[in-house]
Amino acid sequence: MWAFLIFGAPGLLVYVCFVLAPILVSVGYSLTNYNPFRPPTRFVGLRNYQLLFDDPEFWNALRVTTTLTLIVVIVPNVLGLLIALLLDRRGWFYNGLRSVFFVPVVLSSVVVSIIWTRMMADDGVINQVLRGLGVADPPGWLSDPDLAVYSIGVILSWQTLGFCVVVYLAGLQGVPRDLLEAAAIDGAGPVLRFRKVTWPLLAPALTINTVVQLISAFKVFDHVQVITNGGPGEGTTASIAFTVLRVGFTANRQGYASAMAIVMLLVIALASALVLKFLQRREVDL
Amino acid sequence: MSGACGANRRTPRPATAHSEPARSGRGAVAKAAPVNRAALPWLRPTVALLVGAVFFVPLYVVLTNVIKDGPEISTDPMGLPLPPTMDNLVAVMTRPDNLFWVSLTNSVVITTSSVLVLTVLSAMLGHYLARTRSRWARVATVLLLCGLMIPPQVILLPITEVLGTLGMMTTIQGLVLFNVGYYVPFGVFVFSGFMRQIPRELEEAAAIDGASRFQTFWRIVFPLLRPASASVMIFLGVWIWNDFLNPLIILGPGKGTTITTGIYRAIGQYQADFGTVFALMFLATVPVLVFYLALQRHFVKGLTGGATKG
Repeated sequence: MWAFLIFGAPGLLVYVCFVLAPILVSVGYSLTNYNPFRPPTRFVGLRNYQLLFDDPEFWNALRVTTTLTLIVVIVPNVLGLLIALLLDRRGWFYNGLRSVFFVPVVLSSVVVSIIWTRMMADDGVINQVLRGLGVADPPGWLSDPDLAVYSIGVILSWQTLGFCVVVYLAGLQGVPRDLLEAAAIDGAGPVLRFRKVTWPLLAPALTINTVVQLISAFKVFDHVQVITNGGPGEGTTASIAFTVLRVGFTANRQGYASAMAIVMLLVIALASALVLKFLQRREVDL
Repeated sequence: MSGACGANRRTPRPATAHSEPARSGRGAVAKAAPVNRAALPWLRPTVALLVGAVFFVPLYVVLTNVIKDGPEISTDPMGLPLPPTMDNLVAVMTRPDNLFWVSLTNSVVITTSSVLVLTVLSAMLGHYLARTRSRWARVATVLLLCGLMIPPQVILLPITEVLGTLGMMTTIQGLVLFNVGYYVPFGVFVFSGFMRQIPRELEEAAAIDGASRFQTFWRIVFPLLRPASASVMIFLGVWIWNDFLNPLIILGPGKGTTITTGIYRAIGQYQADFGTVFALMFLATVPVLVFYLALQRHFVKGLTGGATKG
């Protein structure tokens, strides 16, 4: 009992007060029409959830988030694996390159966003280079409503690539050399060795990268807020995390925003549980 | 990714996998071919350097533009900064509203106090949960692990009200308190995982020698948890330093800015003057970059603890 009061209670108490209880409060709000500037607050049952179903803003946010998530799960994973294979050597040269790839991971997303806003501006570095190469009318990476969400996907991929590289490199270093040598002696070429030996042993790295990227992509807020503020046009880059805060704090429809946030939580939980289960099944033990 | 989807079927165990080619008939003539014999020894470093260089371009743009004249930044962002100028850095550090210094102080105070409290609290909680075999401890562990993926959006609305009632909105204490609650699951996750490597007998021996549970923890267990403490402090340090959403909502965009919300405020005010913005970003990043370069080894270790089995 004393042990619990001293060791367990303080941490649990803060967690309950600042995470668990607020979730329950949010669930409660989501069943009301709560708006601090428009009393009275009434219980409305599941009406907010019904409204969500017919809300084009919500479906748009889900679509934007899904697009970003697919990009951020696939691109850094594939490129990260290729770069890890490229850097899987010893020595200062490869260690130095690994550090370079990891730098954006420790940068603030605000800093990354501003760098890329300048790079991708209509008269920014990228378009200056393209004009120099003879492209008369380079695209407006962040000002074209059809393109902006993919540009943000590229930016997110650049920032998280180093994470995937480092995790895959560690996975590669865990592949026993004698297995690869045995495969080579049996006549397996590099491609076959990769497919049959290396790739199955990289399964835990793939699991980590996919789940971490999935969860972080689903929560993307900073980049949208700083780079496009949801635009250009009508919410073309408004992710779900961005929309919840806009509805809740700017429009003050807190009951409705809470319902949206709860749906967001359920989708993340479900998606990551499914992916985790699926990917862990193919992990092998040596 | 497509490779993962294609591997839906159970992957063959690698131990048997390498014998497959032998069955294809070439096994008899197999020679000890060295693995990864490079035909073109310069190819790998060249490709690696090229890819790294392309990846580095955005960082190059910041680094050079920090020491470049304002007008040159938009006309010639890729050019070398010759002659270099310190004007941007000086301008940031001598701003009349002290934006940089105020933000820096706030970020340092918030990050160090959050990280210290978090390390102590989550080490104790992780230790407690790892050593208690009651059903409640297991329920608490599961509830804490769920906290690892909860987006701040779900809890921020009620939290602003709780902090408002306590009179702690727009205060540093309020943000630190929130950080502790929000990041405690990560700390517990790392510490309770690491506890499995510490033999129970050590603690039992200390207890027999008359040490209280409190003494056992601080004198015996906590020093042994040092690698886990390093991971927790490094990751939480970087996350909290770089956090944007929570300080934006809890501290507000006004006076009490952190480094990140300070930069955000600066781009709102001086849309055109990118020299100053780049200098501010550079100065804001230096501490975290130095921190990373100094502790790189621990970073990689902490990140990859789960990436390899065994």
